[in-house]
Amino acid sequence: MTLTRRIAVYGVLSLIAIAFVLPFLILLTSSLKPANQPLHEFPPALVPLPPVLDWFIEAWTTIDFPIYLWNSLMLEVLTVPAYLLVSAFAGYALARFDFRGKQFIFYLIVSTMFLPGEVMLVPRFLVVSQLGMVDTFAGLVLPGLMSAFGIFLIRQAFEQLPSELFDAAKMDGCNHWQTFRQVALPQVRPTLATLAIFGFISVWNSFIWPLVVLSSEDKYPLALGLAYLKGTFGDDQRSMAAGTVMAALPVIVFFIAMQRHFVEGMKGSVKG
Amino acid sequence: MLFLTPALLLLAVFFLWPAATAVQLAFFEYDIVSDPVWVGLGNFQRMLDDPRFWTALRNSGLFLAAMLPILVCVPLLLAVLVNMPLRGIKVFRVMYYLPVVTSMVVVAIAWNYVFHQRGILNWLLTTLGVLDEPVQYLLEPGWAMPALVLVESWKSAGYYMMIYLAGLQSIPRDLYEAAEMDGAGPWQRLVWITTPLLRPYIAVIVVLAAMDAMQVFTSVFVMTQGGPQDATMTLGYYIYDEAFRRFDIGYANAMGIVLWLILVAFSMVSYRLTRGRMATT
Repeated sequence: MTLTRRIAVYGVLSLIAIAFVLPFLILLTSSLKPANQPLHEFPPALVPLPPVLDWFIEAWTTIDFPIYLWNSLMLEVLTVPAYLLVSAFAGYALARFDFRGKQFIFYLIVSTMFLPGEVMLVPRFLVVSQLGMVDTFAGLVLPGLMSAFGIFLIRQAFEQLPSELFDAAKMDGCNHWQTFRQVALPQVRPTLATLAIFGFISVWNSFIWPLVVLSSEDKYPLALGLAYLKGTFGDDQRSMAAGTVMAALPVIVFFIAMQRHFVEGMKGSVKG
Repeated sequence: MLFLTPALLLLAVFFLWPAATAVQLAFFEYDIVSDPVWVGLGNFQRMLDDPRFWTALRNSGLFLAAMLPILVCVPLLLAVLVNMPLRGIKVFRVMYYLPVVTSMVVVAIAWNYVFHQRGILNWLLTTLGVLDEPVQYLLEPGWAMPALVLVESWKSAGYYMMIYLAGLQSIPRDLYEAAEMDGAGPWQRLVWITTPLLRPYIAVIVVLAAMDAMQVFTSVFVMTQGGPQDATMTLGYYIYDEAFRRFDIGYANAMGIVLWLILVAFSMVSYRLTRGRMATT
């Protein structure tokens, strides 16, 4: 590639990058601008003069931000390990055992991908309310633990393991549980990591289901809490921006740290 | 089958049971408080006479018509760009993917600042002379939907870009080298090599993007609440509104089933079409 073309390509790439990053940047500067600097003006000022942390302190102390944060963390702890376990168990059974109806069960699980969350919203709420789980973390967490995507991805990983591995385990006298726990599971660690990352992010960002299941504001996770604040707190755009930045930052940092796993996960999910 | 038990249990309780409930309740009038009343096809007949249902269906159709071409084409171009063997290309991939991992609530709030009457978009468009006057994008019926289409597409473009990228990396390099030797320019290579070989990926993306577009909800909830004058009321939002604000559960369920039938029909047709064409090439 010639130098001029290279520069042109970098120019295009950078312009697009600005389009993808600018809204976040505006949010960030809005949260840092001092009270006497207008939030919106022509031409737009992207640098806070001087940057202040007042709105972060305000968002942290006067609104329920810490509670939402705590709820989101709780949800992560309750959801992600259980999600990995359910997926790994089912994926292992579907990859390594032969039994009647295996194909049927597999297709049944895959077909849930064609039952999108929004269509299931009302009936699933009715089931959860019949189980007495409305406004509980159980009602929030349990419906999300079975995911066709997770089972599918991990089944694939188990299928790719060489059968010699399992023969050897058998010869050493491992039972099914030991083979799973000590031989197979450690081998699919990269897939588990990918799933954990996807699970973490989807729990952090979950909105519609918490909106439907939860009625007490003190149980709201971050995304829902923010939407609620936007309704009640709408006039104070600066604190709103600060709260939003605090809610977005952990997941963005997490993503940048883990981005290598993302690409692998995406590849795996398309191959299937 | 101890290993399968947790998944099957969850499948039965949170997928099959609700699915059965949905089908059943579509034929009842139900408000959670009193017992369900059998109405036969009443809910479906009501849809036919309900102008808001048709508005919602039309709006969802418009979202689909606007977002599908964007989400099939733009991410392909992005993927071609970020597939170039350049130093630091991974940084660009990460930046383009950033909105995908961010909550729709955060994205919607951030765009509220962009769309503000004295925000950066109005400054840009008035300075360039595209607009004479600043526009209140989310408050004008003609502007609200394009604004939401922009936000939704912006949020998920990176996701589809990554799917395409996986596809691009599976195409052997020597194909391009051969084409280059035959004098094919970059545009010709995109049209005659990349696109045909990416058909399976395009098929997947058409189905996924259609599902996305037909289910637009969170951006509507946070940014416009279906307004102004129902201009952004999607089918998903109307179902939510009927079920959880008016407690018209039976009717909401019936609409959910219609939405589901539309999605399944659309996926099947588009999948057949893209695959069928694959067979002929």
